[in-house]
Amino acid sequence: MTDLVRNRPLPARAVLALACLVALVGCSRKEPDGGKSTATATATRVKVQLNWVPEPEFGGIYAAREGGAYEKAGLAVEILSGGPGSPVVQVVAGGQSDFGVAGADDVVIARARGVDLVAVFGTFQTNPQGVMVHSARNIASLADLKSGTLALEPGLPFGMYMKKKYGFAGATLVPYDGGIAKFLADPNHSQQCYVTSEPIAVKRKGETPKVFLGADAGFNPYANVIVTRGAMLREKRETVRAFVAASAEGWRRYLDDPTAANAAMAKRNTAMDAETFAAAAAAQKPLIETDEAKKSGLGVMTEARWAKLAADLVELGVITKAPAATECFTDVLTVTK
Amino acid sequence: MSTSRSLLAIALPPFVAAVVALAVWEGAARALSIPAYLLPPPSAVASAAVGDASALAGACVTTGLASLVGFLASAVIGVAVAIGLASSRIVERGLYPYAVALQTVPIVAIAPLLVLWCGAGPRAVAASAFIVSVFPVITNSLAGIRAVEPALRDLFTLYGASRSQVLFKLELAHAAPQIATGLRIACGLSVIGAIVGEFVAGFSEGSPGLGILVMTSYRQLRTDLLFAAVGCSALLGMLMFAVVSAASSLVLRRWYVAAR
Repeated sequence: MTDLVRNRPLPARAVLALACLVALVGCSRKEPDGGKSTATATATRVKVQLNWVPEPEFGGIYAAREGGAYEKAGLAVEILSGGPGSPVVQVVAGGQSDFGVAGADDVVIARARGVDLVAVFGTFQTNPQGVMVHSARNIASLADLKSGTLALEPGLPFGMYMKKKYGFAGATLVPYDGGIAKFLADPNHSQQCYVTSEPIAVKRKGETPKVFLGADAGFNPYANVIVTRGAMLREKRETVRAFVAASAEGWRRYLDDPTAANAAMAKRNTAMDAETFAAAAAAQKPLIETDEAKKSGLGVMTEARWAKLAADLVELGVITKAPAATECFTDVLTVTK
Repeated sequence: MSTSRSLLAIALPPFVAAVVALAVWEGAARALSIPAYLLPPPSAVASAAVGDASALAGACVTTGLASLVGFLASAVIGVAVAIGLASSRIVERGLYPYAVALQTVPIVAIAPLLVLWCGAGPRAVAASAFIVSVFPVITNSLAGIRAVEPALRDLFTLYGASRSQVLFKLELAHAAPQIATGLRIACGLSVIGAIVGEFVAGFSEGSPGLGILVMTSYRQLRTDLLFAAVGCSALLGMLMFAVVSAASSLVLRRWYVAAR
């Protein structure tokens, strides 16, 4: 804050001070009527940092904004788009953004490194990460993948788990580059993928690849988890609760009808066409709305699954000591404190 | 006696600068309690370097070999291209713009293509090192050859020197200091090219290079190891620079005062 003010000329400072005052007044006025506010001027401003470009995997967040769920909850949400290597953990922990979207494995690693990051909504109940193989190779199990090149992101726990489980002896491991050009060019190339993304892109080029999900292999961390920093939970729990509730509402809306949110995202991601948006939204639906989510609510997270993930990461040598599973996530919707 | 004193005069200032910089960094990291995942203090980087010494050493060898191959290719091909371009004004006018274009190629953008063309692995990594480092060799060598005095050319012609005699005894001999300058620039760049190449084309198992190590440590929020890997790549570049500088001054000092 002080840095923001210091480098600006006086009129800007005055405006900023005024804005802060308005925000303060707005907050204090908002408290009595339970956080509800109608005018955007009094809304609490929060930011959410995505870990990729706008795609259906963030559909609920865009649906919550487009459909007015955030506004109804008294929030003015700024969505920060991401890309390869987006430093979501750092940005959220450092306070530049209030919320972020990251993998559950990122949360455990961050906590093991002393970063106070907490998951508050587990969007994907089934992890969409998998290995995509050309179907013409007739590979029945990844244990039979013993030739060609295999692109995995170096250091990504998913890839380390698959490598440990299946060995891939004889296949050459190369870094994953986020694209599908190599896959299309080389019949012996396999790569990691989001089942909701690359396989659909390949399908549109006329081939149906075979996908082996990490979840089926036993590695199933929650994916596209909404995270916040511990301080935010302690100091502005009501804001966190409002954001999570509204995001859950957005996801409900998106699962029922993704059209409006897809159109909003397509404006910000022109590389993806409307059909691909629709296909990806359909493909991810069963991964988000699992039986567990139907029973306990969208975004539900359990201690057992966090503990299993932490133990897996220790076993893979990514971290040396598992953080307590209960520290990794908080259910702000049902647990009051 | 005098050599040891002059050695001290050379080595002391950068050493003091490094100590001061590290002390300020360490102090700032502690005093401002900067989170280690954003900026680890030098002590944390050092302990990561010690703890993962074998991984770092293996990565240095892998990346070092790829940059060396790329650099040697740059040296040979770069000088050859410069000779070719210098052979006629028409050829130079026709092709030099493309040599310039080579320099402006964003290696990050074409690195994935290198994998498609060369296949993943050391070859693509070395190719990336080559593309990044060849231009300064071409342009410096060309400038050196072009700068040969016309009077000397006339003299060689007058004495009936053959084309190869003109090339080796006049043009290359005259351009040697500039070629050396080009090589000194190229060797540092080749390390950068190799690391960028590894981001997309390096083997991620066996003996992964520094580029892979950087990606892994970033992915796993090991900022201390990331800094150590970046430090190693800087050391690698400096080592290459030192070797090339020493070799060029050894070769050139017989003829050129400036290269002493």
